[in-house]
Amino acid sequence: MSEQQVLLKVENLCQYFKINKAVDDVSFDIKKGEVFGLVGESGCGKTTTGRSIIKLYDITSGNIYFNGKRIAAGTGSYRNAINAAREEMKTASPERKAELKAIIAEQREQIKAAKRDHFAKENRSVTQIQMIFQDPIASLDPRMTVYETIAEGLKIQGEKDKSVIDEKVYKVLERVGLVREHAGRYPHEFSGGQRQRIGVARAVVMEPELIIADEPVSALDVSIQAQVINLLNDLRHELGLTILFIAHDLSVVKYFSDRIGVMYYGKMVELATSDELFAHPMHPYTRALLSAIPLPDPAYEKNRVREKYNPLEAHDYTVDKPRMREVTPGHFVQCNDAEFARYQQELKA
Amino acid sequence: MMENRLEKKLQVRNLRISFRTNGGKVQAVRNISFDLHKGETLAIVGESGSGKSVTSKAVLGILAGNAIVEGGEILYDGQDLLKISEDDFYRLRGDKIAMIFQDPLSSLNPIMKIGKQLTEAMLLKGKARQRSCKENFKTKLDQLEKTMAEANSANAAKSKEQCDTFRKFEAKHTELEQAYNNAYEAAEEALEEVKNLLFLMEKDAFKDVSALRQAKDFALNTFNPYVVTGDDEAALKADANALMNDIKAEMKSHNYSATMSRLQNIQVILEKAVSKTKPDFFAMGYFMVCGDGNVPSGTVEQNNQFYFDYIAKNYMDEFEEDITKAIVWSDERYLEKRKAVVTALENAYADLDQGTVESFRPSVGALCKQVNDSVDPLDIVKDSAACTFEGTMKSFLARYDEGLRTNKSKQAKYDREVRQAEKRAAKGKDYKVAMPTTIDLELVKENMLAAIQHLKDHYIERNQKDAQENKRAKTDMITDYLKDNASGMVLKITKQAARNKALKLMEEVGIPEPRKRYNQYPFEFSGGMRQRIVIAIALAANPDILICDEPTTALDVTIQAQILELIQNLKKKRNLSVIFITHDLGVVANMADRIAVMYAGKIVEYGTSEEVFYDPAHPYTWALLSSMPDLDSKDKLEAIPGTPPDMRYPPKGDAFAERNRYAMKIDFERQPPEFRVSPTHWAATWLLHPEAPKVNPPSAVTERIAKMKARMEAENHV
Repeated sequence: MSEQQVLLKVENLCQYFKINKAVDDVSFDIKKGEVFGLVGESGCGKTTTGRSIIKLYDITSGNIYFNGKRIAAGTGSYRNAINAAREEMKTASPERKAELKAIIAEQREQIKAAKRDHFAKENRSVTQIQMIFQDPIASLDPRMTVYETIAEGLKIQGEKDKSVIDEKVYKVLERVGLVREHAGRYPHEFSGGQRQRIGVARAVVMEPELIIADEPVSALDVSIQAQVINLLNDLRHELGLTILFIAHDLSVVKYFSDRIGVMYYGKMVELATSDELFAHPMHPYTRALLSAIPLPDPAYEKNRVREKYNPLEAHDYTVDKPRMREVTPGHFVQCNDAEFARYQQELKA
Repeated sequence: MMENRLEKKLQVRNLRISFRTNGGKVQAVRNISFDLHKGETLAIVGESGSGKSVTSKAVLGILAGNAIVEGGEILYDGQDLLKISEDDFYRLRGDKIAMIFQDPLSSLNPIMKIGKQLTEAMLLKGKARQRSCKENFKTKLDQLEKTMAEANSANAAKSKEQCDTFRKFEAKHTELEQAYNNAYEAAEEALEEVKNLLFLMEKDAFKDVSALRQAKDFALNTFNPYVVTGDDEAALKADANALMNDIKAEMKSHNYSATMSRLQNIQVILEKAVSKTKPDFFAMGYFMVCGDGNVPSGTVEQNNQFYFDYIAKNYMDEFEEDITKAIVWSDERYLEKRKAVVTALENAYADLDQGTVESFRPSVGALCKQVNDSVDPLDIVKDSAACTFEGTMKSFLARYDEGLRTNKSKQAKYDREVRQAEKRAAKGKDYKVAMPTTIDLELVKENMLAAIQHLKDHYIERNQKDAQENKRAKTDMITDYLKDNASGMVLKITKQAARNKALKLMEEVGIPEPRKRYNQYPFEFSGGMRQRIVIAIALAANPDILICDEPTTALDVTIQAQILELIQNLKKKRNLSVIFITHDLGVVANMADRIAVMYAGKIVEYGTSEEVFYDPAHPYTWALLSSMPDLDSKDKLEAIPGTPPDMRYPPKGDAFAERNRYAMKIDFERQPPEFRVSPTHWAATWLLHPEAPKVNPPSAVTERIAKMKARMEAENHV
């Protein structure tokens, strides 16, 4: 798997809203053809991460590479470096001052480069990333027919030939399990599952390489959920899609994803392949999360003990600051030295 | 057994609800029946549109304006909830039956602060409860006095004196207990706060000075002769009052040694206080009012024994004996009455069965009167079946009259529409006609027969139980009831108390910084937080029955687990009955004692949680189980094909037939009856018919059950 080409690379992504650090120093990469699951409680920044990737927000700092090309970059870290250098300048010796000046100039260059990449008009690779939203009712325009909804993206991309658009729209409708006749209808005429299929069709018609699915099934009924999951699964195999799957239902994530990243309060705390993560959860938050999954088995449920996670009790980060470390190949955990040693001990045992 | 009569909290019988829409009548709930027992959780599982929310809304009397209740009854506490007035509902809602709504956005008032919304009901209901407790106490005690006097007519003066004494010292008892409870609760709260603060200070994460102030306020409210007293009181006062000055000095340096040592002192005192035994205030109250006034100076345990002996010797034993005598006397009388009613019902059943509703009508009044007379006023739990009998009969008669009046014209209209539809169909247009809304007069008669039969069966069963009943236990129940209501009379909810309770609830449901959040508006909360507020509001009123309409669907697993644990704990602590509506089978396995699986407005499978999960019988249940992934599934999920049927034109046979792989010809033609799998488990599917071919559940289900059984056995071996 490691030889696979990296499709999306997220590097030290930070997204701050005023003082609220929604996403704080998150790094991961998604390989071509895999499904990467992102889990965590509500408000932990998983949706923000997804939205930052398709540039619904301008990111604070960090870089996002798509197919090896930088598509988004933030300037926050460079600005911080400049500010720090200026602060030092006040008291520094003359030789040091020259060095600092060089640093500032370099950081300014970085900012320029970041801005150039971030706002590049010719940078069209973003259309290769499409998003499926959580709420199929709110994310479809009630005044547009299904045909208009699906064709809108194509038209914006400059496709003028009606017959091409027609062909593409009808093909994708059939692909997601709807029929041609549905094209002329309005969203309110559909059931929840069908609406989500329209959402999927709208994303797939652009022939994207990466789909960001933000809780695509959590608003649906169980029976419909299975239909949509099966659909996404089929599409993935047939079209070779790469999917960033954001959800809080761990059973679904486990079923669907190859690798899973666990987020907690804006930080990525653990990242591993899905089997590895469920077999050997390391970080106390991951353990708490896994112990909270309800299973359809009354006898098991009545005895299930939920682990609680309190970051203040679980870690002592006053001296030794934590960072992402690779405990076993492909299994990353946010921890400090002492914890790192303990985790490795646990693995051996 | 006494419990048996207590058991059924809520009974839903043959409930049918439809909605008037432009496209015709949508049959949302089609003839469902279930019971909710005290202290158990009933889960209703099904897809959206299966009628589960409609059922729960009917229980709460908040159906949409276009809803028509076509039939059935919902019995709670001697009332049929479908027939009581809005004023009566006002008394039940929130206080007795509370609901956690699915959509937190629409169930909060956007222009009211969260704190106000949380305490509003508490404050309103507090006054109402005081009033109703007063009333209950008075009527029940008066009734008791009357019965006792009748039972022992030779000595009526004595029973009057006994009851008067009870009235007198009960007031003292509640006053003492109230003061104690307030202080004790404050001590518990303060202890919790202090522990929390110590922890935060140790970790150097202390930020919120208002939490310290809160702890101090709690600590200063703990002074009571039986909680914190004497030297402890002085020490606690000194420490608590010095807290705020200390923290001011130490806040900047992040070195909390002085504050922490004070907090530790407070903790020691409070821990001692909360571990003290609770005095027997009931007996103490009697001693204070009727005793000689020489308060003994032993330990709490010794005193308790002393008071207890005192009241037993001088008053209680005799009083209880007399009550038991009165109960034996009145029970015999009412048993005779009920036996007479059973005969009368038998006759009425035969009359109606052979005759017509018209010929039966004149005798209804007398029958209802006889039934009403047979209701024992000393019953603590009202006999719902008997109390609602009159209303049921009357509404059936009214329905019968309406049918006579309107059926003809409705049928004519329907015929006209059918002719039009046929014309259009001939032109090749698809045009459906909604079924006529005529009232089936035969069905009304059958319903009346069923109601009579039901009451008769109920009385026969009850008469048998009564014969074996322990009269002494009933005496205890009556005295407990009187005690409860007496304490309810003095229980006053102040604004401050409501605020404290609200803050505690907010903390319990997992809202950080509740003091800050208390004064915010709903729009300042995220979806999950709003849902928690809604849950806190529902729990604030201490309801009898809690209806949870998909409470955790919008929440993530950790919070979901937290909320479910909270509901479970409350259920255990308060013996709450819960109706839990959800489509998440994992949650159901966690919560439910019994499960009703609903599809297209009908219950298709009903049984205990173990039975439904380990031995599912209906194909729809199979489909639900196999369509959700669990942690081990790897294969393609078995989605249920298609969508639920349009309930404007409900299918003739089994509603699930169209999406059912195992459907047989009869499934499309006739509705399956309820086939019993075990005494507590039934399913409505033709597959259980003795002549049906043997069908095994899909492999996904059988494999999972095998896995679950293996896991269970593995755990048993360990």
